[in-house]
Amino acid sequence: MEAGTTTSHADHGAHDHIHPPPEGFIRKYVFSLDHKVIAFQYFTMGLIFMMVAGSFGELIRLQLTSPTGAIMSHATYNTMFTMHGTAMVWLVLIPLVTGAAGNFIMPLQIGARDVAFPWLNMLSFWILPVAAIVLFSTFLFGGAHAGWTEYPPVSLADGTAGALWCVAIFLVGISSTMTGLNFLVTIVKMRAPGMTWTRMPLFVWATFATALMNMIATVALSDALAALFFEHVWNVPFFDATRGGSAVLYQHMFWFYSHPAVYIFILPAFGVISEVLPTFSRKPIFGYKLIAFSSMAIAILGFAVWAHHMFPGGLAPWLQLPFMILTFAIGIPTGIKIFSWLATIWGGRLYLTSPMLYAMGFLITFTFGGITGVFLASVPADLHEHGTVYVVAHFHYVVAGGAVLGFLAAIPYWFPKATGRLMDERLSKIGFWLFFIGFNGTFFPMHWLGLEGMPRRYASYAAFAATNPDAVFWNRFETAFSFLMVASVGLLAFNVIWSVRHGKLAGINPWGARTLEWMISSPPPYYNFKKIPIVLDRPYDFDKPLPYRNLDNDVDPYPSPIAAVTGVKPVGAGA
Amino acid sequence: MAQVSAPQPKQVRFAGLGPGFWPVTAVLTALSIAFALWILYAPLDAILPGESHEVTDRAADVDALFKFMSVFGGAIFFYVSGYVVYFALVFRHRAGEATDVVGVQVHDSPRLEFWWTLIPALLLIVLSWLSINVWYKIQFGTTAPALTMEVVGHQFSFEYRYPGLKGSIYSTTDAMHLPIGRSVRILITSADVIHQFWAPEIRLKASAVPGLVQNLNFTPTAPGTFDIECTEFCGIDHSLMTGKLVIESSDAFDRWLASEKLKVAAAPATIDFAKGDAAAGRQVFTQKCSACHALAPFSQRVVGPGLLHITDDPAHPKLVDGKPPTPENIGEILQNGFSGPIGSMPNRTANGLSNTAIADLVAYLVSLK
Amino acid sequence: MAATTVAQFDGHDAVAVRYHDVDPVYAETRDIRLLGFVLFLVSDCVFFGAFIFAYLYLRVSAPTWPPVLNGHQLPWFDTAFAALNSVVLFGSGVTMHFALENWKHLNRRKFTSWLIATIVLGIGFLLGQAHEYSLVLKDVSWWGTTMGASFFTLTGLHGFHVFVGVIYLTTLLIQTNRGVYTGSKYFGLTAGTLYWHFVDVIWVALFFLFYLW
Repeated sequence: MEAGTTTSHADHGAHDHIHPPPEGFIRKYVFSLDHKVIAFQYFTMGLIFMMVAGSFGELIRLQLTSPTGAIMSHATYNTMFTMHGTAMVWLVLIPLVTGAAGNFIMPLQIGARDVAFPWLNMLSFWILPVAAIVLFSTFLFGGAHAGWTEYPPVSLADGTAGALWCVAIFLVGISSTMTGLNFLVTIVKMRAPGMTWTRMPLFVWATFATALMNMIATVALSDALAALFFEHVWNVPFFDATRGGSAVLYQHMFWFYSHPAVYIFILPAFGVISEVLPTFSRKPIFGYKLIAFSSMAIAILGFAVWAHHMFPGGLAPWLQLPFMILTFAIGIPTGIKIFSWLATIWGGRLYLTSPMLYAMGFLITFTFGGITGVFLASVPADLHEHGTVYVVAHFHYVVAGGAVLGFLAAIPYWFPKATGRLMDERLSKIGFWLFFIGFNGTFFPMHWLGLEGMPRRYASYAAFAATNPDAVFWNRFETAFSFLMVASVGLLAFNVIWSVRHGKLAGINPWGARTLEWMISSPPPYYNFKKIPIVLDRPYDFDKPLPYRNLDNDVDPYPSPIAAVTGVKPVGAGA
Repeated sequence: MAQVSAPQPKQVRFAGLGPGFWPVTAVLTALSIAFALWILYAPLDAILPGESHEVTDRAADVDALFKFMSVFGGAIFFYVSGYVVYFALVFRHRAGEATDVVGVQVHDSPRLEFWWTLIPALLLIVLSWLSINVWYKIQFGTTAPALTMEVVGHQFSFEYRYPGLKGSIYSTTDAMHLPIGRSVRILITSADVIHQFWAPEIRLKASAVPGLVQNLNFTPTAPGTFDIECTEFCGIDHSLMTGKLVIESSDAFDRWLASEKLKVAAAPATIDFAKGDAAAGRQVFTQKCSACHALAPFSQRVVGPGLLHITDDPAHPKLVDGKPPTPENIGEILQNGFSGPIGSMPNRTANGLSNTAIADLVAYLVSLK
Repeated sequence: MAATTVAQFDGHDAVAVRYHDVDPVYAETRDIRLLGFVLFLVSDCVFFGAFIFAYLYLRVSAPTWPPVLNGHQLPWFDTAFAALNSVVLFGSGVTMHFALENWKHLNRRKFTSWLIATIVLGIGFLLGQAHEYSLVLKDVSWWGTTMGASFFTLTGLHGFHVFVGVIYLTTLLIQTNRGVYTGSKYFGLTAGTLYWHFVDVIWVALFFLFYLW
């Protein structure tokens, strides 16, 4: 504290009020209104379902070690890929990147004490365990079989399981929509004084663009699911061609959400990369404005490309054209980001910590996935690739090699802020290499297997194996490498649990980062900021002093990574 | 404010764009060129089936597009990944160095940003133009194709219909044939759920959607026998929904079609249960019936009841329509379908059953014990 | 700020006091809540929008409209009664507007009258819809054709929104009776008014799409 601090509007604003601390175990840890606790709840639930859905994925891989299907009947296999996809999309990815990462990081980065509607935030989380119970109850009714897309008419054969599947995802949709709304209002209204739009950290820009999509697109999915539910239960003919309905209509309604959904997965990961790379390169993010605006461009364009999932599927031929062109177009803002990130690490002073390794691995695998996306955007090429494991390869490269890698970078990066301790760096690095090698080994061969003609969602592939004798070898190769990913996630879980108790103390700012969350204690007090800070500039100029006033703590104006991170005693005040 | 004063950090210094930047760039360029040469000149049959001698004109177009994308996509990937690895090695902080040195504090470079926006945009414009050309030919083809045929998707087989051929050909035992040198239009639809018709060598696919007819247009150019696969999840036996495509000379095709017409003409006008072949019936059962019926006791229902003991189940001595399980009565249900409290079964037209198929199927069912 | 600007209900028209002048802390909270509520209405628009898209898609791709069922073409919806019912609903929008205006001008009794009128008209609309459904169901069911599927789904969801709105407005009536809101702090009333107008706007679209087109 120093004398002569100018009193500002911040001292009397609504968000300046610090409410009394929550009392009791239930209020503190179960039905908490604190965005940090809610983020932890999302994180735990997301990791658990990642392991559940991941084990379904492993069962898929085990099945495919034999061309006649090694371990499961067709019916069981069909429920496996359905639930692997469904759970991964709605109980792992969306909750982790928005509910866990967005919830924990964004309010801290904008200098707020919480989100705009903490009660809504709590409700958004607690809907998810209910949705999960409903989703897994489908197993009791024979299971859902038609993939995470559950297209009618074939999905109508799922009966009660299909109807329950609709209910479960509808519930997740409500949670997502509310979270999107919450984050939008928070970012628009609750930034610290002086934090103009062009002074916001890039993770906040990413969260803003994501929240916009979350709030608008998810509702379209709710409609598709409601209509499918009505058709399941009361035979209402939205999608039944024999009564004037259209199966293609479902696909329009479904993909109008599900394409923006994939940008919902990836934009927060982009935001993480945009934070991690400058910190560990000790230089500004290259092209801040272009990165911020390209996030918005991707969010908006992302609403205009959905039918590229339907090119062979019954789309009117003339409609294929605009969707193809717009899908190509979306490659441009994406490319701008990748080149900007590359320019960010150029000429830096790189600290190859585990978050940095994950971020750099991301640059490689996401670029590759983005390029295979261009192959799918071209209609004639897509007519060859659609419905094969080439598509499976593409989306795993951008989702697992993109969104998941970005989230895996976020974990060791912000874990110290959340808990006050560093994760074990050696285990994190081993985990990175296990994941990176395992992931590439699992999904890279699928590119040529798909081009050669191996369809997706096949419980057995005897006919394909008869004309492509190397198919069995590559499938077994992929299965072997997939176990490295299992090991990596297991190691991560162990590391998280172990480090909470035994990790090295991190202090306020172990990485020498410059965004606002690194100006408060680790872990932060429940109210985050005693005094709302004032922001004078962007956070990424490592040769300038920190652009903040009114901070709660004494901080080095030029933060550096601590000795526990670098192994070297820092010059200057440091940690 | 609560900040102590401290000296401004120093920025790293290095010559040019970094030690070894241009040699590394040269290596990456060489790699990209080598990759491009491989894509353009090596046979790629291991990746794209039939690439070195495409079997249709559209397949050749698609392969050309694919190569264009591979050349430039490969180059972008090599440069990006190469630079990531190179920067990691050459700009990394070395153990023992001071930690208050920062990187080059550059925020942007309008010229660089201009070029790395323009070049990808130009590439994508060219790609759009190339794609639109091929797209147009696939969707609209020639205005008057020499051969128009129909493909109908069923759970779990494809049905092929040719002009002048009464009835259809099913992929249970027969292949779909196409003539070399004649422009073909394939009209595709479905009798039940969404399927998707594809043979990797022809490169094109289209969904078989109930209530909709899609079309594919191309001219076959080289002979061969290829697998047809369903590539849109269509139910429990989606993975078994395969067939054969035979591309042959125009004369061979005409001969084949003529023999098919003779077969249909010679096919029994009535169903002769005495001539039913149980072995053939077993194949029909797998292709047509197993989606809904298991070879199991009556109570084990998939959709319809199990049929293992259709003729000798003491708990169910009659068929679902109340008649005794004679071949003629079983055949009647197969012909007309059935609708009742237990559920609905489609008729022979919906199931695509010829008189021969019905006779064979009945022979098979009766042989089950 | 001076206490004299705090609004008092005294039965006379007085100058409405802007919340900004009274309490900057409240002002910020209200702004946050208003943005949140407006965004909620935007998402609700998308909710209707996607079903409207489905209706447009089904109608435009149908060989005939109204569709044919069991060999007979279904009849068009009858506009007359629905138009009358629409007037009732739009009227309730007008009454709600006056209710809020009166509140802002501190006329408690007039506010209450206009609010009750709104609730009554809202219930009237719901009863009118029930009658309309009984007429439509003679020929068109929810599950028979795409006409019924789209009509009952969209108007049903809209009716559900009206129902929730009636409950909300009744809650506001009770709350104002208990003195929850003041002349300068009445966000709940603003939200209720916005919601009620939203329900009207959606009905304009549905009335056009089903009865006029």
